[in-house]
Amino acid sequence: MKGLNLIIAGVGGQGSILASHMVAMAAIRDGLRARVGETFGAAMRGGAVASHVRIGEDVNAPLVPRGGAEIVLAMEPLEGLRNVVDFMAKGGLLLTNTHEWLPVNVNIGRAKYPSREQIRDAVAKLGGKIIEIDGTSLAQQAGNVRTLNVVMLGALAATGKLPFSTETLRKVIMENVPRKTVDMNLKAFELGLKSI
Amino acid sequence: MGKSEMIIEDSPGKRVLLMGNEAIARGAIEAGVRLAAAYPGTPSSEIVETLAEAAPKLGFYVEWSTNEKVAFEVAAGAAITGVRSMTSMKNAGLNWVMDMFMTLVYGGVRGGFLIVVADDPDAHYSSNEQDTRFAAFYGEIPCLEPADAQEAKDMARYAFELSEQLELPVFLRSVTRISHASGDVELGKIERQDRKPVFDKHWKMPWRWNVYGPPSAVKKHEWLHSRMPKIKEIVEQLPWNRLEMKDGQTVGVIASGIGASYAIDAIKLLGLEGKVAFLKIGTPTPLPEKLVARLLKSVETVLVVEEGEPLVELLVKALAKDINPKVKILGKLTGEMPQVGEINIDVVANALSKIMGGEIPVDPQIEKIREEIKKLVVPRSSTLCAGCPHLGTYWALKRALATTGGKVPIVNGDIGCYEQGGYGIAGKEYKPSFSTESVRYKIDAPYETLDTNYIMGGGIGLMQGEYHAGYQDGSVVAVTGDSTFFHACLPAVVNAVYNKSKGLFIVMDNSWTAMTGHQPNPVTGITATGNETKALCIEDVAKALGVEFIKVVDPFDLKATQAAIEEGLKSEKFAIVITRRVCTLQAIRLKQYSGKKMTLEKSTCTGCRLCVSLGCPAITFNVDENKAGIDPIICVGCGICAQVCPVNAIKVGE
Repeated sequence: MKGLNLIIAGVGGQGSILASHMVAMAAIRDGLRARVGETFGAAMRGGAVASHVRIGEDVNAPLVPRGGAEIVLAMEPLEGLRNVVDFMAKGGLLLTNTHEWLPVNVNIGRAKYPSREQIRDAVAKLGGKIIEIDGTSLAQQAGNVRTLNVVMLGALAATGKLPFSTETLRKVIMENVPRKTVDMNLKAFELGLKSI
Repeated sequence: MGKSEMIIEDSPGKRVLLMGNEAIARGAIEAGVRLAAAYPGTPSSEIVETLAEAAPKLGFYVEWSTNEKVAFEVAAGAAITGVRSMTSMKNAGLNWVMDMFMTLVYGGVRGGFLIVVADDPDAHYSSNEQDTRFAAFYGEIPCLEPADAQEAKDMARYAFELSEQLELPVFLRSVTRISHASGDVELGKIERQDRKPVFDKHWKMPWRWNVYGPPSAVKKHEWLHSRMPKIKEIVEQLPWNRLEMKDGQTVGVIASGIGASYAIDAIKLLGLEGKVAFLKIGTPTPLPEKLVARLLKSVETVLVVEEGEPLVELLVKALAKDINPKVKILGKLTGEMPQVGEINIDVVANALSKIMGGEIPVDPQIEKIREEIKKLVVPRSSTLCAGCPHLGTYWALKRALATTGGKVPIVNGDIGCYEQGGYGIAGKEYKPSFSTESVRYKIDAPYETLDTNYIMGGGIGLMQGEYHAGYQDGSVVAVTGDSTFFHACLPAVVNAVYNKSKGLFIVMDNSWTAMTGHQPNPVTGITATGNETKALCIEDVAKALGVEFIKVVDPFDLKATQAAIEEGLKSEKFAIVITRRVCTLQAIRLKQYSGKKMTLEKSTCTGCRLCVSLGCPAITFNVDENKAGIDPIICVGCGICAQVCPVNAIKVGE
């Protein structure tokens, strides 16, 4: 049966919720059913955000079961790890941006940010794979750091694990980003596609 | 096609992705709603946001009201004149509404009236986890509870018809995982309901809309009771109440609302399809009692799956007493389901597998690895935004309290972005204290400023109680925001003046109801549908209410803000300090920032961390180098950190 459990994680303001909606819209357009469960913090920015995307011929609940995500797509490495721990399936994939957004807890010296090696090691121990890309730089290259979510969607499509066509996703992105930013976002999508 | 065009597209049968709140709005549009009024509250705000975008195109009325009670009354007034109307709110919003809610039902309505309440199990965005389905039970009106976005749309649409059939408001209970979840939805036809509003004070019942009008409130209560048999008959036939049962099944699941979606997926996960009887509930109150009875007569054990309190469980237990007292009813009351927090597929699967005599296999090694990795996962406290004006207000308040606040000042908060001032710092250990004297604690970041916080406008009342109790160990302070000032603080301000309370009241005016997604409010100067209107001025209102000490400052001017707060703390009379600057996210949208970023000269930085204690998320700190830094991606260049730095290491960059 065609299907995918995906979690898109990031920090509030990085566009993970819009990204999750675009994945679900593309799935529906290609004839599948979709559910998105959005978890965002109390304020608009700065908090941990995770969107659960469930695609298939028969999905009902909007939350991915524990250990059920084939892919965790992370706009920020720590947020990737936060969701990998509970949700990544055995043999799953963490596809993450490498640019760190330090939590205030780290800045005031109350906690230490995990190193890149620690994150790689954690994914390996859970039986998963990791792909790291510098999505933030690619987004800047596309013209604005705010295109990070679309860069990451490009990379996600490049994994070949999406149960719908890359072309459909591209169309959905074009229709759902602000009109003035379509070209910039298409560039971001291409940069993401070529990044892995 | 964008969402705002799609939501009003009359193309029945088209399948689109809708967020639960958008689906509810679409349902109301399909039913021909003529008026919607609400106060924003997460996770309900997108319902009226969506309707506000559609309203000018479809020609109906939408407003953001000053609070939920006013919104409810506005919608009820429309329903009395026979047009279809609705109101929506978050869980806590209903508490403001209860007075009118419990009384309106005595005479009911003429036009369809939909009340949507979005509950928040797990308190993602709320002060509590209250289950508002009890209000529908209490008010004796039908409660619809959707399992997904499709049902949310269909139920919202049907609610108007049901409301008119019963002449009663209809309650739709959403939860975070409906309102803030999206799913594929098949659109229905958009009906136009261009009815002329009419008024008849004796319509079908003398003094229909005046609860004191003869014969009496008691007679109207009797009328309300008389509706229930009809409601019960209707819910038995609704497509959202459905029993799937086969001979030989000994275990049944009764699942209400979103609980049904979790239960269906959990049954699949366990491979139990066809092995358990399944009663899906779309009306938790009143229940489809005949369907429940059929199940109770046939099985030995029932698991009740629902989000919130055990309402369905209690009602099923009451029915079982007469129908089949031997049937075991399991759920929240018996410990199979959790009594707090929210449920999910795993919670239902665990409960169900235990009942079926199995266990979900757990790999102990993986669990051990998970526990190890969790130690690396640093908590991420949510913060105020980079360049948020509240950062300046909190900095000045902290400084002013240190000089003028006395030994142990009390800072009372309420609900808005500035409530971040009371979230504490995740990962820091806070210990219970058993002191018999007042205790002062060090504040590491603005996130540790608010000592009390409960509800909208709660702080200004608490402050007066602290003062009148004779609290002498320090200043008493309350903070609020612009929208909350109008929502809930006005009677308390009058009370402070009239009953001669002392204390400092800080109003952080950023011109928008920011936390719920930047809705306009009485200081913004525009309506929900984008029309210009009179912008109210908080200092003028305070003056009119008799407040004698009023200061207005710019929170980006830290010295002036601190001075004003200190003066307010010393005031012999109730004092208001308004810290006014437009929300930074709005300022960015309006391109009021140059795009320049702050830069930090490392050679000058002494590592004192004063800038870090400002709490701005753009300010970083490298422990190895003992130097602060500025994240150029997050920084908006507001410059308040430069005012804080004692060695002038921070400057405006290029």
